[in-house]
Amino acid sequence: MSKKGTSSFILQRASAVVLAPLSIWFLFAIVSALTADYATARAWLAAPWNAALVGGFFIIGALHMRIGMAEIIVDYIHSWLKDVLLFINWLAALGLIAAAAWSIYIISFVG
Amino acid sequence: MADGAASERPLSPHLQIWRFTVTLAASITHRISGAVLYGGLLLMALWLIGLAFNPALFATASAIIHSAPGFILIVGFVWSLLFHLMNGLRHLYWDYGRGFALKTATMTAWLVYIAATLATALIIWAGYGGGA
Repeated sequence: MSKKGTSSFILQRASAVVLAPLSIWFLFAIVSALTADYATARAWLAAPWNAALVGGFFIIGALHMRIGMAEIIVDYIHSWLKDVLLFINWLAALGLIAAAAWSIYIISFVG
Repeated sequence: MADGAASERPLSPHLQIWRFTVTLAASITHRISGAVLYGGLLLMALWLIGLAFNPALFATASAIIHSAPGFILIVGFVWSLLFHLMNGLRHLYWDYGRGFALKTATMTAWLVYIAATLATALIIWAGYGGGA
């Protein structure tokens, strides 16, 4: 994680600027989507704009949350466990991106 | 940090020696809400995977969402996202070197708690079909 301070600092703020308006849209859309039944939720996510915005929220959100959680880890954990947690943190972010992108691809293009 | 020489360096003072202020609370809440969103996105990814690949997983997720704990999870996620978003704007403002005056920082911290709570009520009301 060392020698990445400046790029992390910039990416965290750039992603925040994109996530701010995206989050407002997401908040107004996601509660009714989450409480919908299977067919309704699928039809909602199959709409191209919804797919793009949900995908963008998950992918940019994953980048943002990885940096934020890494900051928490290096602040409080000073043992060997730090590197293990930072690695798991990377896996969680990559897994989130893969899961969201793949799921949205299937719903949008495969059905 | 294992050897003695390295551990002599002072660490940033931590939670136990600060007088409580709303700005301190907002700082801690920023981290906690970030962690809540981290968990929330992972749980929501399971919902997405169910929606795409596995109707049984979707049915389980839906049952949890429609239970009382599920409602608390959704309200917690919405409040955390709103708080983190609004408090994040404070952070961006600080990055420009502004908003640090004690009165300003205290006022904006209160404002973020109040606005996040009011906006959560609006989002939940709208999301559960209150506006429809």
